[in-house]
Amino acid sequence: MKTVVCIKQVLQLGDEVEFTDDGLDVDPDYLDPALNEWDSFATEEALQLRERLGGEVVLVTCGSKASEAALRRCLAMGADRAIRIEGVDRDPFSVARALAEVVSAENADLVLCGVQSSDAVQAATGTALAELLDLPRAAVVTKVEYDAGARTAVVDRELEGGLVDRVEIDTPAVLTIQTGINEPRYANLRAIKQAEQVEIDVRNAAGGGVPAYRVRKMFVPDRGEGAEMIGGSPAEIAARIASIVKERLA
Amino acid sequence: MSVLVVAEHLRGQIRDVTRELITAARELGQVTVAAIGQDPGSLVDAVNIDGVAEIVTVTIGAGEFENDAYQAAVEALIADRKPRVTLLGFTVNSMGYGPAAAVKLGLGFASDVHGVALEGDAVIATRSFYGSKVSAELDFPGVDGVMLLLRPTVWAPAEGRGSASVSSLEVTAPASRARHRELVEASTSSDVDITQADFLLSIGRGIGDKENVEMFKELAAKMGATLSVSRPLVDAGWMPSSRQVGQSGKTVKPSVYLAFGISGAVQHLAGMKASGTIIAVNTDPEAAIFNVAQYGAKADLFDVAEELEKLY
Amino acid sequence: METRETFAGLSTWQIALWYTLIVISTSIFAWGAGRLVIKYMRGRGSFPVDRPLHRAGRTAWIVFTHAWIKRRDGVAGLAHAMIFYGFVVLFIGTGILAFQDDFAEPILGWDFWQGTFYLVYSLFLDVFGAFLIIGLVILGVKRARKPKRLDYTRVDGVTSRYARWHYEVGDWAFVGSLLFLGVTGFFLEALRIAETDPSFEKWSPVGWVVGQGLIAIGVDGETASAAHFRSWWVHGVAALTFVAAIPFTKAVHMMAAPASVATRNDRAGKELVGLPPNARPEEVGYGVVTDMTPAHLLQLDACTKCGKCHEACPATASGYPLSPRDLVLDLREQSEGALGIRGWLTVPPLFHSDENLLGNPIKPETVWSCMQCMACVEICPVGIEHVPIINNLRRRLVDKGEMDSLLQTTLETIYESGNSFGEPKRKRGRWAKELDFEVKDARKEPVDVLWFVGDFASLDPRNIRVTQALARILHHAGVDFGILYEGERNAGNDVRRAGEEGLFTDLAESNIEAISACEFNRILTSDPHSFNTLKNEYPALGGSWDVVHHSQFLLELFQSGVLTAGKRLGRRVTYHDPCTLGRYNGVYDEPRALIAATGCELVEMQRVRDNSFCCGAGGGRIWMSELKAPDAPRPSESRMHEATALDRVSTFVVCCPKDVTMYEDAVKTSGHEGEIEVRELTELVLESLDLEPVALAAAAD
Repeated sequence: MKTVVCIKQVLQLGDEVEFTDDGLDVDPDYLDPALNEWDSFATEEALQLRERLGGEVVLVTCGSKASEAALRRCLAMGADRAIRIEGVDRDPFSVARALAEVVSAENADLVLCGVQSSDAVQAATGTALAELLDLPRAAVVTKVEYDAGARTAVVDRELEGGLVDRVEIDTPAVLTIQTGINEPRYANLRAIKQAEQVEIDVRNAAGGGVPAYRVRKMFVPDRGEGAEMIGGSPAEIAARIASIVKERLA
Repeated sequence: MSVLVVAEHLRGQIRDVTRELITAARELGQVTVAAIGQDPGSLVDAVNIDGVAEIVTVTIGAGEFENDAYQAAVEALIADRKPRVTLLGFTVNSMGYGPAAAVKLGLGFASDVHGVALEGDAVIATRSFYGSKVSAELDFPGVDGVMLLLRPTVWAPAEGRGSASVSSLEVTAPASRARHRELVEASTSSDVDITQADFLLSIGRGIGDKENVEMFKELAAKMGATLSVSRPLVDAGWMPSSRQVGQSGKTVKPSVYLAFGISGAVQHLAGMKASGTIIAVNTDPEAAIFNVAQYGAKADLFDVAEELEKLY
Repeated sequence: METRETFAGLSTWQIALWYTLIVISTSIFAWGAGRLVIKYMRGRGSFPVDRPLHRAGRTAWIVFTHAWIKRRDGVAGLAHAMIFYGFVVLFIGTGILAFQDDFAEPILGWDFWQGTFYLVYSLFLDVFGAFLIIGLVILGVKRARKPKRLDYTRVDGVTSRYARWHYEVGDWAFVGSLLFLGVTGFFLEALRIAETDPSFEKWSPVGWVVGQGLIAIGVDGETASAAHFRSWWVHGVAALTFVAAIPFTKAVHMMAAPASVATRNDRAGKELVGLPPNARPEEVGYGVVTDMTPAHLLQLDACTKCGKCHEACPATASGYPLSPRDLVLDLREQSEGALGIRGWLTVPPLFHSDENLLGNPIKPETVWSCMQCMACVEICPVGIEHVPIINNLRRRLVDKGEMDSLLQTTLETIYESGNSFGEPKRKRGRWAKELDFEVKDARKEPVDVLWFVGDFASLDPRNIRVTQALARILHHAGVDFGILYEGERNAGNDVRRAGEEGLFTDLAESNIEAISACEFNRILTSDPHSFNTLKNEYPALGGSWDVVHHSQFLLELFQSGVLTAGKRLGRRVTYHDPCTLGRYNGVYDEPRALIAATGCELVEMQRVRDNSFCCGAGGGRIWMSELKAPDAPRPSESRMHEATALDRVSTFVVCCPKDVTMYEDAVKTSGHEGEIEVRELTELVLESLDLEPVALAAAAD
């Protein structure tokens, strides 16, 4: 059983923001990197499959050298090896094309992605990747029952409103994994440090293809009216809230 | 400018997002609505709304959504009608085939879009990045068409009886590689129905610790509110999913929605922003929930909760 | 000539039997002691042998002065000293006699056991024999009154394979057997005196008085002689049995305790021992009994169940499923049942040496209940290192990922953002930008004092007010200081104590790199946790600097006249010693002197200085879910009850950011709101300086 997990190092913005000179992105000084939350669930799912069925878990990411931190965290969780693809635009189609090249060569039994990344929230890369690999797919998966013999899996897709769509899918397939599907294990720092000794296979993206979009301007959204902010001590805030609640429920 | 809207339906009912897509679409140009299903004719009435020029029905084998069939149908529709813009809801189903069709056909693509405009012939989409703290305007140079997945609940649902022409398109969909089996209610517990509550006290990641849930449960009981939660608390197993507000949980419209420690992820806001009065308490002054709240307070949740408890 | 015949009335074969019994007894003792050493050597690593003279001297001092035993219970200390010295003198007396009888006299022909020497010898042994008995009676009475700390009921409610009543039987058997030996010894002496009534035996006052009593009740010489013969055998066989039993009973502490003190790590707890480079999973912390160090295995046997740790532990007091005593006993049962004499003799309960230390009967929650406050280590009279032992158990759990999900999230957050709040790195120095003067960036220009601010003090809104107050004082005093801004990461003290050794090393190394790149003379910390790890743990990783806590630094400024109080505050205050400042580092007096300098009157709580009671946040507990009993007050709440019970105390003074948070919460949750307010020492100092109010417009709203 070989599972490829596509992960992303996301960039998190605090409560201060400055833009780059061209105004097309946030100044990197204001962004802190982190492993995308969804991807830790996808990695955990792959590791659990390996624990049950044996085999290999291979990580792939697109990003600069710095994004290896995310790979190392997943390696520390227990993944077997990692591939990083350099020189890829951040839009989902460019990423999917770069991933497809590498993933197709792996001939995996399953390809797992996070549903979305917390910094871009496109929820598109996994599905686009499936198309480029010509694989069946299921989006927003909260349960995987893999039947290695039948080469199928029964997966639960989490629809809106608390409804679950149970789907039987042929494998190999691409699944985008939703948070809460499992409890991702802790990647301890001893393991992360040891993962620093693991050689990461670095590839260059072939490029080509039109990106999904082009950012032409990035800005802090006009908050409009926004909320009327209640100031004062906690007691004053509570009193005001209580009076608003009473008035509205009257 | 031709716009294709793909209607979304579940158990034979058109979903709200479809009417929202129609609202967005009619601001852009001539609207064609695609109804894809086993019996698409039964959906025609529901999408024959003011501003829709044409309804195209595509008959597929699957009773409920299956992404291979939908993808084949939408690809055929785009090939046939060549819309400048294709609009889908930013929903779980669309996530399963929209990006696939777009990358295959070489369309421009963006999802979770909350603003669409035309500049001459160019489509400009607005969406958020970095935890909704910034927005970006996107354009799509070098492509013939654009597919946008629009964020639900941003556009008002289109109203008014339409007079669209109805036609159909034959599509031979390949055999589905991912086959729908059944729909299961995730929360079949006998827990309260938060959608019926008039006053929700809702808590999120900001409460920090499982043991604090109890404190807010008590506060809710004292205030006469029903306790609801955001997704992370359900993921952590602290509360059942029946209490979850948001896109993957319940959509609620109480008279008062009092949120503690909820930063306001898009999916959460989608499930509660239609509430009568939203009051949010959060330690982060930049929390996105303050954008939809009428009242906000940047304060320690527990201090405010304690003070509130004294008042009831 | 004053003397006596050693084997009076014994025939040759009886003497031969006696020597045979001695050989059997000492052989059993030697075998048992040897098995113990073999058990300890099965542990990982070896006994520390560095600075042998220092270790020997320190051990002698601690053992002979009873410096540790007498603490917080003077009566027990005195009683133990009487027993100890009684036993030692009797033991030496017996040794002298053996030397005379078996070596000096038969081989050298030197008979010194007579005359004045004999008389003084008799007096000494009699007096100390009496001490032994008095001491045993005192301890027996104390034990009979069933004090709470000698109640062996497990606090975690687990049914263990080893029943606790065995301990009570063992305790009484130990006290009883010593008492029996003491009493029969005197009886024996009295019978001997009653036999011939030599007047010089007044030099054996106790024996003489009892002997006179026997004569008075009409015991004649013949009867006494016959009874003496029988009693001699009873006493002798009992004594030999006792010796043989030492390695197998509570008496083992007579050897194990001094050995434990001798091999103990002086810096236990305040400087935890790192992992070997490139440690394999099985080398991380303690998973099975053979992972423990020989010194830790030895410490388990040294425990006398005195209960001082049980009494001092804030977790035990607050109904957490942890008692340091229970943990030590459980681990002892496991090591004894797997590697020890019991294991060797296959006397149940047995444990396998591959068996996980945790699970049966020690629960993981027990290990997570610890606040690593050092109260147990500090008071233990035999030098047990509970805190490092617990830390090692945690290390294994963390390595396997078996921990509270909240702790896991926090550790992940600290790794990714460098702080436990998950705040962006940029935010760390934001408090400085809200001041009306500039705080230097020590990374960019040389400073005299490099201020390592810490997580809570940098990012928690309430503590930022304290941090800004300190900055204002330093500015006012003209101190040339700077901070690292986003170059600083969590110091790692509590990460390490939570058991995430790898993350600690990562944090420490990046801080050391950041600090080393700066030019400065000394480091100021405003957080006792950071203070401890920077001062005591960074040196091992290559960062040795002069590190000072802000209470020490501010006091220096007062003492050198740079600061003078503009007004006397005149408050009645009480002061809480933070664990990491007080017990860990012995800083008790400076904060008190500083309180005096502000013109406040200090009213002490009951538990102060080394006996200070942890707020409950330490050891990473602040990042974990609650484990205490639902009806028990939190440690911080119990502390608040203690403070508010003092007469007219308006202010609870702390000098640790976590204390500010913990106690401000506790004031509310313990129902003492309005009765007392929490103030950080810095805030008192600022108030006493009588400067203009701090401009905190941006921070306050």
